[in-house]
Amino acid sequence: MPVFMRPISTKPDLLHASRPVFLVLFALLLALLPTGCQRASQQTTADQAPEITAVLTVAPDPALVGPATLLVQLTDANGAPVESATGISLKGDMSHAGMQPVLAEASGGAGGVYQAQWAWTMAGDWFVTVTATLPDGRTLLRRFDLAVSRP
Amino acid sequence: MALHQPQTSFDLLRVPGLGRLLRWRWGRLVMQLVMLALALLVIYDGLTGPQLASQNIAAVSVWVHYRGLVMLALLLAGNLFCMGCPFTLPRTLARRISGRGRRWPQALRNKWLAVGALVGFLWLYEAFDLWASPWLTAWLVIGYFAASFVLEALFAESPFCKYVCPLGTFNFVASTISPLQIAARRADVCRTCVGKECVNGSPQTLGCGTELFVPQIKSNLDCTFCLDCARACPHDNVALAARKPLSEFIPLPVRPFASGAAATRLAASAWPQRWDVAFLALVFAFAGLANAFGMTPPVYTLAATLSRALGTRSEALILALIFGLLMVLLPAALGLGAAWLSRRLGAAQDRRANRGSLRVVFARYAPTVAPLAFAIWFAHYWFHFASGALTIVPVTQNFLIDHGVTLLGSQPNWSLGPIMSEDAVFLLVLAALATGFLSSLYALSRTAAAEGTLKAARRAMLPWLALWMILALAAILIFSLPMEMRGMIG
Ligand code: SF4
Ligand code: SF4
Ligand SMILES: [Cu+2]
Repeated sequence: MPVFMRPISTKPDLLHASRPVFLVLFALLLALLPTGCQRASQQTTADQAPEITAVLTVAPDPALVGPATLLVQLTDANGAPVESATGISLKGDMSHAGMQPVLAEASGGAGGVYQAQWAWTMAGDWFVTVTATLPDGRTLLRRFDLAVSRP
Repeated sequence: MALHQPQTSFDLLRVPGLGRLLRWRWGRLVMQLVMLALALLVIYDGLTGPQLASQNIAAVSVWVHYRGLVMLALLLAGNLFCMGCPFTLPRTLARRISGRGRRWPQALRNKWLAVGALVGFLWLYEAFDLWASPWLTAWLVIGYFAASFVLEALFAESPFCKYVCPLGTFNFVASTISPLQIAARRADVCRTCVGKECVNGSPQTLGCGTELFVPQIKSNLDCTFCLDCARACPHDNVALAARKPLSEFIPLPVRPFASGAAATRLAASAWPQRWDVAFLALVFAFAGLANAFGMTPPVYTLAATLSRALGTRSEALILALIFGLLMVLLPAALGLGAAWLSRRLGAAQDRRANRGSLRVVFARYAPTVAPLAFAIWFAHYWFHFASGALTIVPVTQNFLIDHGVTLLGSQPNWSLGPIMSEDAVFLLVLAALATGFLSSLYALSRTAAAEGTLKAARRAMLPWLALWMILALAAILIFSLPMEMRGMIG
């Protein structure tokens, strides 16, 4: 008992009026495509002291989920320790978006070594970002990646 | 053909203000433009911003917020993402450029390609660690725009949503548990309607892009919630109506124009009795498990074992094997096995029992997994959302600071993250799985009740009951494992 018969489909020309809108938006999209380059950042990701060597050591090593100690060792171009850097902060991010980072401040400085108490919250791939203000006022920024395993 | 008229107690399109906005000619365009702006932001920050996923708007908004909020919308309302989908915007342009193209080939007018695209998408996600790469996430969005544009330019109708799009496929199946559904307000108005503009369109408006016919809609499958039908109907006869929970999985009442076996056969579920559609429901469930499994320790052990056994370090290949097994072969084998057993058990008991072909049994029972499957996806995506929703705040602060705007502060507050405690998240996961499982059981028992006799019903539902139980237990096991977030091999 077929109740419905469909008339021949007449697909209409829709959204006539908004054609310019689409064209503009699409052009915008196309214009964005070749921007493969990294955006110049104003503040957050600039390293101003490329000649300084930073070494990150974790204990235990290899890293395990749980409490840990992180050591940052800074040496200048001549291999001399950088002892009076300030505001040394460590930020641990997981490779997966949307995980709360681990944050810590490192202190000390004797022999250019700064120490922070730490906790790895989950197994996986981590990025540790170290930022510090050098005695001459420049900002140092380095990123280290490492894998954390289950104990 | 039977007319379906649900009891429309609540109609979103009659809510003062909101209903008008939704039915307004440019209503969808407004939503799409908002989503387009967000998509452009994702592309921009993904390509040019910090390449640490947790600091990039692209990675955070797509892999934490999109997925969490989409599940919430599906649970509370319906397929709201497709409603505001930005990818169909350039498509509209393509249609204008291309004019009339070919029809989508008959051989592809089913869900097989969509099943493949969904599995392929999940494979891509894991094999290329999309969750860790803002750059690839941006390209994924660009790829989406391109694919939708190209398909629209080549074909006369809109095949992308219905036959290809993995997001649409996901949302279609998930929305079968949603409380809202398109329905005719009055069946008699449709009966005398001449133009059927809701599906055919008119010179001013589009008809349904996925070729659904309002008075016959019994399922949210294939409905993008675009509301083109509501705009097209000259009799203002379309509702976005509230429906009873799980109504889609409960066979409709038998219509009295046949008797005996024929009558029982009419007590069909709202889903078409097709291999592809029913298989899609199973794949949706198994893929949900496999996707969550992909973040737990045993998968790394499995990958390492396979890597050694096959002498390859290709993560893409190893993942293709694991996902092919878990998302395609396993549901095919277990689903067919359950259907075969269910058919045998039911028929052995009672000759009068209404046993259809293997396909009919498969297609009747397999979709009852949808509520459990939804729960599995919900649990997984809400694990991420609940543990990281607020990370969007420092990420946005960071983005603004990068552009010299200190409106939201001059230092990102990186200590923000979860919106629920770990224990609360785990409880939510368990509650979701329990609710999903019980809902699937209810759907299963109601479906089985359409068998000839009570005994036949009990026996026929047994294999499915066992299968759904195994799925639920596997889900609980997987979510009890510690999460791990890293690349597959080494
Ligand atoms: S156009 Fe309106 S009245 Fe006509 S069939 Fe469609 S929903 Fe019913
Ligand atoms: S039935 Fe068709 S036209 Fe109506 S909202 Fe669903 S997809 Fe859009
Ligand atoms: Cu996950």
